Amino acid sequence: MRVSCLQENLARGLAIVGRAVSHRSTLPVLGNIMLSTDRGRLRLSATNLEIGIHCWVGAKVEDEGATTVPARLLTDFVNTLPPEPIELSLVVRTQSVNLKCARYEANIKGIDASEFPLIPTAEADGMVELELAGLRRMIDQVAFAAATDESRPTLTGVYASFRDSLFTLAATDGYRLSVRETQLAQPVKEPVSVIVPARSMMELARIIGQLPPPEEEEPATVQVTVTPAGNQILFHMPHVDLLSQLIEGTFPDYQVIIPKSYATRTVLDTAAFLKATRVASLFARDGSNIVNLQITPGGAIGHPAPGTVTLTATSADLGDNVSEMDALVEGADIGIAFSARYLLDVLSVIDTEQVVLETSSPTSPGVIRPVGAGRELFTHVVMPMRPH
Amino acid sequence: MDWPVVGHEWAVKLLQQALATGQLSHAYLISGPPQVGKTTLARACAQALLCTAAEPPCGQCLACRKVQKGIHPDLYVVAPQTANLLIDQVRELQRQAALSPVEARHKVFILRQIEQATAPAANALLKTLEEPPAHVVLFLTLTEGEQTLPTVASRCQQITLRPLPTAQVAQALQEKWQVPPQRAELLARLSQGRLGWAVTMLTDARAWSQRTQRLDDLLTLSSQNRVERMRYAERLSRQDDAISVLQLWSSWWRDVLLLQHGCEDQVANIDRLEVLRGQAGRYDEQQARAFLEALTSTGRYLEQNANAQLALEVLLLRLPRPAAPQGESNLSR
Repeated sequence: MRVSCLQENLARGLAIVGRAVSHRSTLPVLGNIMLSTDRGRLRLSATNLEIGIHCWVGAKVEDEGATTVPARLLTDFVNTLPPEPIELSLVVRTQSVNLKCARYEANIKGIDASEFPLIPTAEADGMVELELAGLRRMIDQVAFAAATDESRPTLTGVYASFRDSLFTLAATDGYRLSVRETQLAQPVKEPVSVIVPARSMMELARIIGQLPPPEEEEPATVQVTVTPAGNQILFHMPHVDLLSQLIEGTFPDYQVIIPKSYATRTVLDTAAFLKATRVASLFARDGSNIVNLQITPGGAIGHPAPGTVTLTATSADLGDNVSEMDALVEGADIGIAFSARYLLDVLSVIDTEQVVLETSSPTSPGVIRPVGAGRELFTHVVMPMRPH
Repeated sequence: MDWPVVGHEWAVKLLQQALATGQLSHAYLISGPPQVGKTTLARACAQALLCTAAEPPCGQCLACRKVQKGIHPDLYVVAPQTANLLIDQVRELQRQAALSPVEARHKVFILRQIEQATAPAANALLKTLEEPPAHVVLFLTLTEGEQTLPTVASRCQQITLRPLPTAQVAQALQEKWQVPPQRAELLARLSQGRLGWAVTMLTDARAWSQRTQRLDDLLTLSSQNRVERMRYAERLSRQDDAISVLQLWSSWWRDVLLLQHGCEDQVANIDRLEVLRGQAGRYDEQQARAFLEALTSTGRYLEQNANAQLALEVLLLRLPRPAAPQGESNLSR
């Protein structure tokens, strides 16, 4: 193998695949990044057997070939090099890679590429095509709600469903549920639903954020495919492929969890609500992390006094705090308590100006939705805390 | 291709049939003496499961070669970390088990020495053992004489491996490891039917010289006085493999007893047949039997956490003196 490419391109590629490198695995080759030539480009690949990432870097290929080299050493070395062309060549006899850049030269010992796990790449067109930024937004709104506790593996994943023209992402940890739907440009031929590890989804969102701005004729889209064996999902982006293993199991029927009715409907200013919650969380974080909401409707019709929402948080040691907001309240008044962290999590991913909170009783789940998000339907269900 | 397993024909057949009919159980508990081939059997079955050829295991395809090199991404071998199998290892296993396989259609987990699992680890494993994801197959190995939780055992199909016949071990050593016939015969007899042990001896020169040294020690000790014996006991008690020394000595005294009864063809330490013959003549049968019993019970004491030095001192004081020409009786001093 003999390849030359620019230092900044290689460094950017290494940063993207580096996140899939596994440093503590029983398979030493997983601590390596695979370098291979692929149709006139240099392909970097890494996997931890949960996520696999390919990244293509523009390069001048003189000789085809493939090898794997330790990720950390290669990345650190390339990052310290000056922004000039790098020449890479593989010495087959010693399985080491020779790198030359400006006046620096290094030989890095590698492991044969045949030991590297096979990571499929996108061969044909994907099953569906999604817009990059939109997908990233969807992941941000859903993935945080997945469980981090491994005792129920299906809940550590994000449920992804493609049915006709509807694409749904959902995640729950048993205390909260995030569901986000969007319309596909083209309906899928067959309905498909899979559970993707939340970590993979977050990694995907991160990579989308890191992609270089697309060139003129390049579409800013991602092709999504579930492999025929049904064990992997592949996201094909410009220059980058991300492949994730799937979680086996059945995702809970989350539709039944979403309350169908409400007793009180409160419309709040998102930024004000977020700010008040943040203030309350300062007092709540020390103890049980509870914020109490007191929702009071405004005057009767014809009397324009607005409704109010009062947030209180109390810490036995630190003190207490009260914030009041104006709100449009429909229905009866109610006092309900939520976890401050859960409220912060969901409010910080809502990007509409107003947010609606639907509640029924102090012990039944509340529903939070953005107001005026149109077709981008987002629903968040959160269990209340037991009131004092 | 045949499975890369020597002996255990019935177990191989059982697994082969289960594979062929698609009735492989989700979990197997393979028990047997140390180094008899428990993990080897599990690995062979894993290879058959992960092989991509039409008649697995082919031994040729990429998957087979990866299994043989121990680098297949869908084969996990979990061995006790430090002394125990820890709950964190089980949790990691569960996380991996929930994910779909990477290259093959199955994911195989081999948990070695399940008896070393801590109680929380074993209990954490129960859920996975009871209803693992469809693509997961688990093999647990259990050293003979050790125990695991009954709840673990009852969730697995059990396979009990027995020691191989000496002739089979000798033949395998000659054919697969190119050992000269004479040495193969010796190792086979010493191995007590555990091929893995014989192979270890073959590759580990230190282990072999250790055996020689320890047998020499035994011969020297029998003619030494109490002070020397106490000193040796003290030294031995500080070694962590005192039990294996006792086992070695047991095989020696068993040989002495066998020779006294004229069963020369069953002797294990055939490389020292001449010395053994001399020994057989210099002790009476009663002495040999009594010391063998002492060795066995001391081994048990050591396992039961007795004071090692004390137990070994008592043992060595009981080591009979060879009948000297003067007819001096043992322990007369």
